[in-house]
Amino acid sequence: MIKIGKNVLIAMSAVLSLASCDDLFDTHPYDVNFSGERDINAKNIKAIESMYGNKDTLRVAFISDTHGWYSDTKDEIADINKHTNIDFVVHCGDLTDTGTAKEYEWIRDIMSQLRVPYVVLIGNHDFLGTGDQAYTSMFGDMDFSFTAARVKFVCLNTNATEYDYMAAVPNFDYMESVFAKDTANFDRTIVIMHAPPYSDQFNNNVCKAFRRYLDLAPRLMCCIYGHNHNDKVSNIYGDNLVFYSIDCPEDRNYRIFTITKDSYEMEQVYF
Amino acid sequence: MKWNKYIFSLIFTLVSVCAVADDSIPSTAPTLSTYDKHVQRYRRHWESLIPKHIVIQNAGNMGALSVGTGWDYGKNKQWETQLLFGYVPKHQTPRAKLTMTVKENYVPFNINLNNAFYVSPLTASIYINTIYGHEFWKSQPDRYPKGYYDFMSTKFRINIAVGQRITWRIPYDKRRNSKSISLFYEVSTCDLYIRSKIVDGNVPLKDILGLSLGIKMQTL
Repeated sequence: MIKIGKNVLIAMSAVLSLASCDDLFDTHPYDVNFSGERDINAKNIKAIESMYGNKDTLRVAFISDTHGWYSDTKDEIADINKHTNIDFVVHCGDLTDTGTAKEYEWIRDIMSQLRVPYVVLIGNHDFLGTGDQAYTSMFGDMDFSFTAARVKFVCLNTNATEYDYMAAVPNFDYMESVFAKDTANFDRTIVIMHAPPYSDQFNNNVCKAFRRYLDLAPRLMCCIYGHNHNDKVSNIYGDNLVFYSIDCPEDRNYRIFTITKDSYEMEQVYF
Repeated sequence: MKWNKYIFSLIFTLVSVCAVADDSIPSTAPTLSTYDKHVQRYRRHWESLIPKHIVIQNAGNMGALSVGTGWDYGKNKQWETQLLFGYVPKHQTPRAKLTMTVKENYVPFNINLNNAFYVSPLTASIYINTIYGHEFWKSQPDRYPKGYYDFMSTKFRINIAVGQRITWRIPYDKRRNSKSISLFYEVSTCDLYIRSKIVDGNVPLKDILGLSLGIKMQTL
């Protein structure tokens, strides 16, 4: 079609070689082209399980819905760092606001300021565009679990609306198997999710089925969720199972759970 | 497919822009018949659709590399409309992606360095980029509650850029495919990044700005 001269080819190759510098050139907001740390949940779970496997008292901070409020999140992370007895941190999802690779990098760089290990759940906003692919690359599986101080923490992807309700979300098979797996290593269970039952993201056709599956969890202590940007504590199903909502950094509070051998305490921390 | 509609409407828009752009008609011999005049006019109008330049540039939120064509118009050819196709490598996703961009450049003035070179100290651009793939939607699908993601589209990005360029007027006897070649750079950002900066002013400006380098070959 067009004969391209030698000079043009040289110029093109110069442009191409410069294009490989990541920070200077922006390929696309949804290119999922990260630099830096990846597969973070797996690394941190390894650290959590090796450090706190046999601990008597466990202190866990729960944060959620950081979205684009980077300054508030920085303050929140700084406040958590001031509490020297916290063992690890769980982010209940909606790290990002629009799921771009840059937002993932920004929030990861803030979270990495934590002095203790952390794990991150996926929220509905984190799915936008190629956000779910970015999450998988940066953090790992969307359903995951780990054990610390003989408590199994089961983290579930409950963002069914993002799949137009056509995926196994929440994944009952996963719940069934994870609750039955390695039962010698844990006595109690805590279930964590981003969107709670009966919210706009949950597959509300299976709310009651979800409750039935929660009964398979050995000695379920409570459920913890994000998504709603409030600090509600409620019995969503009208029974004795307590659901704790984790607030967003913009509202300047988070929760610390202190888990002892036979009970637990919840503290709401304002910063 | 849905996006065909957009391509057609974009091309149609470009066609109408270019049809009004070129008005310099060489005077015709009086001996021409009405039909000949008609043919001449007819050809001239369609000829104005022939792309005037080729552009290759990297980054700019359009892909790792974009290739396109465009039209220059206006009194001093200060306006440019370009249609570009970009390639986004797969990186950490299952596959690579294609993007399409309609770009409008404004080059208000040029400064002559000598007979061969001139610089354009300012270029200002606005462009709309669309990315192809099942992950992206134009506006929020029905599955979401009304107004949930109304503030955005994952498929369309509005970008703005400013830049500079230097142009070499190729001497007539040395011309092969082009009559001039420009090298340019642009600093750009997109709507989502501007939104991030508005939500939290502490987002570093350098993180939301990106550099793009390119070459423009003036074929006509």
